[in-house]
Amino acid sequence: MNHAIISCLHANLPAAEAVLNDIDRQGIDTITCLGDLVGYGPQPNEVVELIRKRDIATCQGCWDEDIIDGLNACECSYPSQLAERRGHLAHQWTDDQLTDENKSFLASLPTSLRRDRLLFVHGSPNSQHEYLLPDMDAFAALERVETAGADILFCGHTHQPYVRELRDGSIRVRLQNAAHDCDQGEELTLPMRKIVNAGSVGEPRHGSTNATYVIHNDATDEVEIKEVPYDVGRTCQAIVEAGLPKVFAWRLSHGFEFAEQAEDASHVCER
Amino acid sequence: MIERWALVSGLRGDLETYDLIQRDLKKTRGVTSLFVLGDLVGPERNCDALLDRIKNPHRGDLKPDCIYGWWEEQLLAERGFRGERKADALRLSQGEDAVNALLNTVNPSNLNWLASLQFGFIELDCALIHGSSSDVGDNLTSETSPLILLDRLTRLNVNRLFTARSTKQFHLELTGGGINSQVKDLNGKREQQQEVPKRSVIGIGAGLNYTLYDVGSDKTHFLTAGSQTKTKGMGFA
Repeated sequence: MNHAIISCLHANLPAAEAVLNDIDRQGIDTITCLGDLVGYGPQPNEVVELIRKRDIATCQGCWDEDIIDGLNACECSYPSQLAERRGHLAHQWTDDQLTDENKSFLASLPTSLRRDRLLFVHGSPNSQHEYLLPDMDAFAALERVETAGADILFCGHTHQPYVRELRDGSIRVRLQNAAHDCDQGEELTLPMRKIVNAGSVGEPRHGSTNATYVIHNDATDEVEIKEVPYDVGRTCQAIVEAGLPKVFAWRLSHGFEFAEQAEDASHVCER
Repeated sequence: MIERWALVSGLRGDLETYDLIQRDLKKTRGVTSLFVLGDLVGPERNCDALLDRIKNPHRGDLKPDCIYGWWEEQLLAERGFRGERKADALRLSQGEDAVNALLNTVNPSNLNWLASLQFGFIELDCALIHGSSSDVGDNLTSETSPLILLDRLTRLNVNRLFTARSTKQFHLELTGGGINSQVKDLNGKREQQQEVPKRSVIGIGAGLNYTLYDVGSDKTHFLTAGSQTKTKGMGFA
């Protein structure tokens, strides 16, 4: 059976509607959302209410978490003070706009969802703020999936959709300990695991303005990355009219993200 | 001169043990640094005498460089040095009595000193941490999955991780292996191969059991303070 995974909607209603329409057209009725319903974009209430109305299983993203818990990620989340100021401005604007009911909904979201051997998180099993980039150290990537007890890990946060298969792994070790004072060698065979990043519905960073999401077939484990065009101009205009930083509209209209990704993407905030 | 480190942990207020280790080190050739990887305090006894000795070394003592460990983390959390966090891990594992016992082991001036200690040291290509790069309470042993050990090394980009939390003495080397990965995105597919880097995790022991590390030769020696049984070839005078 096919199911769809969406992530990082970022208060972009036209993009969210376009992606959900695309999923509906394919007759897929199981949808999982990996969080970041709000932040950067101009329609936080509308997007949260759309997800609630559709009753889509959702886990909490880093923006959703920050709206509830306050901005307590460390400064290394941002590559520059300018980017940090813009991020804080968007946070404050979103906090002012969101209704109490919608904030309660964000607060109620779990940090992960599990269906059998499939695990769904926003960033990584460790933190909503950790980036699992496609080229990160392969052993570290495998450790995230394996330690979480999953076969396939679905994540978002990077805004770059990808499927990474980790296979044919092994680690040889040699042990010297105090009790035996001798060497023991052995080899560990590592299991095959997969990481699927759903990309971003509301703020794509893969080089195109199209929204992205993924479809996974749980019988064959095949994954398809989908791109969906939407009315980018409508969202850009709403960003400007809302008084949010114009750079948010500019980068949305280019499909690139130059500003807000941490320089050290592997960094996990000490909260 | 060959650089040799002494690595100690889990003293838990035991001044007598620390004194025995210092005596051993005086008799050992070439020890240039003494690192105490946390758990200076514990609930069993008043720890002020040990902390005072560490802060104000006796003449001839090797001056220690200290970091905080799991017990300090519990104490500092309960005393309000860690924001809203309390000694929940201790409370959960050993109950309220253990928390209360720990609170009475250190006077306020030493508490401030403990709060000034760092999480870990990076020396050359080595990380010296009580638990691991993941958490001060991370309990790494020789039975821990090599995948997790490699992850803890990779997080800090070091070749050797010295850990104390397990209280065990071991030297586990990652000697080889590899992994293949295939990444598919909207631009197509690409294959990647990665080899296991030659790295090590070393458990340094606790209390009387401590470790010497020869930096130049990458050799570890597991010792017990006051015992001469394992000192062969160690350059003891």
